[in-house]
Amino acid sequence: MQAWKAVVLFNLALVVGAGWGYAFWGVRAARLERELAAARATALSGVEREWTVEGVVRAIFPELNVLVITHGEINEFMPAMTMGFRVASPKIQEAVSVGDAVRFTVRGVPPNVAVIAIQKITR
Amino acid sequence: MLALGLVARWVHLATSIFLVGGSVMIVMAGQSDRPTARRWEQRTLAATRALAVVALASGLVVLSLQTALFEGRVAAALDLAAIARVVVETQAGHVWLVRFGLLVLLAAFLLLRLSVDRRVDWRAARGEGVLLGAAALLPIAAAVEPGTARAIALDALHVVAAGVWVGGLVPLALLLRAAATSEGSDARPYAVLAARRFSRVALGAFAILAVTGALLATVHVGSVAGLVGTRYGRLLLAKLLFLALALLLAMVNRSVLLARLGGDGATVGRPAMRRLSGFVVAEACLALAILGVVAALGVTPPARHDAPVWPFAIRLSTTALEGASAAATRALIGSQIAVLGLAGLVAAATLRSRMLPLGALGLVALGAGAGLALPPLAIDAYPTTYLRPSVPYQAASVASGAALYRESCVACHGARGAGDGPAGLNLPRPPADLRAPHTAQHTAGDLYWWLTNGIPAAGMPGFGARLSEDQRWDLINFLRALSAGDAARGMGTAVEPDRRWLVAPDFAFAVGPTPPRSLKEYRGRVVLLVLYQLPESRPRMSQIAGREGTLAMLGVEVIAVPTDADRDAIRRLGDDPRVLFPVVTDGAEAIVATYRLFAAAPHAEFLIDRQGYVRTIARSRGQAAEMEPLLAQIQELNQERVPVEPPPEEHVH
Repeated sequence: MQAWKAVVLFNLALVVGAGWGYAFWGVRAARLERELAAARATALSGVEREWTVEGVVRAIFPELNVLVITHGEINEFMPAMTMGFRVASPKIQEAVSVGDAVRFTVRGVPPNVAVIAIQKITR
Repeated sequence: MLALGLVARWVHLATSIFLVGGSVMIVMAGQSDRPTARRWEQRTLAATRALAVVALASGLVVLSLQTALFEGRVAAALDLAAIARVVVETQAGHVWLVRFGLLVLLAAFLLLRLSVDRRVDWRAARGEGVLLGAAALLPIAAAVEPGTARAIALDALHVVAAGVWVGGLVPLALLLRAAATSEGSDARPYAVLAARRFSRVALGAFAILAVTGALLATVHVGSVAGLVGTRYGRLLLAKLLFLALALLLAMVNRSVLLARLGGDGATVGRPAMRRLSGFVVAEACLALAILGVVAALGVTPPARHDAPVWPFAIRLSTTALEGASAAATRALIGSQIAVLGLAGLVAAATLRSRMLPLGALGLVALGAGAGLALPPLAIDAYPTTYLRPSVPYQAASVASGAALYRESCVACHGARGAGDGPAGLNLPRPPADLRAPHTAQHTAGDLYWWLTNGIPAAGMPGFGARLSEDQRWDLINFLRALSAGDAARGMGTAVEPDRRWLVAPDFAFAVGPTPPRSLKEYRGRVVLLVLYQLPESRPRMSQIAGREGTLAMLGVEVIAVPTDADRDAIRRLGDDPRVLFPVVTDGAEAIVATYRLFAAAPHAEFLIDRQGYVRTIARSRGQAAEMEPLLAQIQELNQERVPVEPPPEEHVH
């Protein structure tokens, strides 16, 4: 066999091997990314969901039916922050006062959620 | 197990390197029709074939030992399923896969019996050997830490250059030896030419090795302490020593022996050729030793991630000159004489004439300059001098350090650290004033040494047996805050442009039952830290709460800390006006204990810039005051150009 032909063959093998490896890993990475995006989309699509988190009551707006709560992270919805939540019924607000540590439940189709239950906790 | 791993790594590295060098040497020598030259080429090729197989086998051993390490059990080294898992699932495994693929390809190519009589065929075949060998060497660089593109590129250049220089030595020695015999005289011009070409190429490879090696060392070692005080650094020094010896040999070969090979025909100096061959073998042995050190470096944590143990009783630092003008002058003059001496040495090395007197003069000037300049720079040093604190500069650490200080140090050093405690009066030397700026001249590691072992001559006891390691670092963090607090007395309510010096100690805090957060998470935003106490601070707190909208608009994060650490602080602040910024209900004690060192007032407001430095301190009794000046300072900080310098470090200098 002539040497230059063998060299061409080996270089071809090198390029094909590198290309195949890149395509294999690249395709796999792309697929994983797609799956992740799909999983995220189904998680956040218009399904009603419910979370229970802990926080502390910072302010009460009875005329607006709003409670302002400093809360921990709400899984797959929002990070820890201080924000106002609509309450499902005025009774919920009457049960708590500013400074109370609470465990509360919000339910709804994000971002349209409301507090449906709240209870004081002792720390 | 460790020894086997080391040997396997060494063999693998050496064979991979020699594989490249052999192919490169053949290409450099070129095609020849002389029988001796052809015999040499065939023998070198046969050797590369064998080396490829050894590289594959030793690579498998390294991989299986690595698997045992990953899995944490010795038996995994022989467990094919475990090895397959490592290969498929880890990044190191992928690199091995690529390496093995390339090595198999190379071995297959070398095993082919190709006819290379035509020039184009010879060039293609030998060139392919170099290409595949270098390609198989490259993945070694992919394992370098940190995996930045720059580090990988540098490491790749480094290994390929090493392959060209180190790998070419043995085949060259064989060629010279063959040509030096009486029956090999036909190949002498060929061997001389090959030796000249190799010498030139090796010089270039050596330059690349030196530059990339120096750059990589700054990445992996980073400091003088890391170089002389860690195992990695000392291995690197050993490598440098071997390298210097090899360089010396190479210089002798190049300047003395290579020149004697000159002349043409069959009459060139056989003894010189034989001696050169011997020297080249010696150089190759040194190179093998270097590769052994490299294999050991591969299994040693880089100096940057290791705690350095300073081996000398002194260190050199320009901080020794602060406030000592006579010493500074002496150091300045000495350094200039030394620079002149250095210039003389360079001149002696480049100029051929008057080399000896110039060189001697330069050497004398260098020595005298160093002798004049260095002594004033010397500062006492201890094994722990460059030890980095294992406990970060955080409020919790400062607070527990403060408690330890009250227990163990107050008697001699005094309540404020002034060295005026009652028990210090009878000591051989008065206790140090811990607030003095000269504490900046001592590293945290120095303080750690004194705390641990005491200063017997001064009557300072050692606390190594009484306090844990963390407790000693807590104390050092407290001393840092104490000294900073003394300097912070001069800080007022106006931002001093571009003067950042008071690092805001990080702290962890929680609001109600929410998970804890830390000040560090607020980097990039301006923070107004308010230490308040009720009822005195009520008017001021109402004022801040009333302007919360404006503060939010300016991008300020307010964090309020009750000085009494009331866990019911939010309820006590009430809802008129509404307070929506974080009010710390967990972690307040440590924050108050730390930040009170900077401002001892009942109510204090700290403005912390986007990089984590305290820029203004407002001390009051909590009465209401104009808000506009504060808002103006915040705006000042917002408009300040943020330098690209790294954020404050969590440890003492």
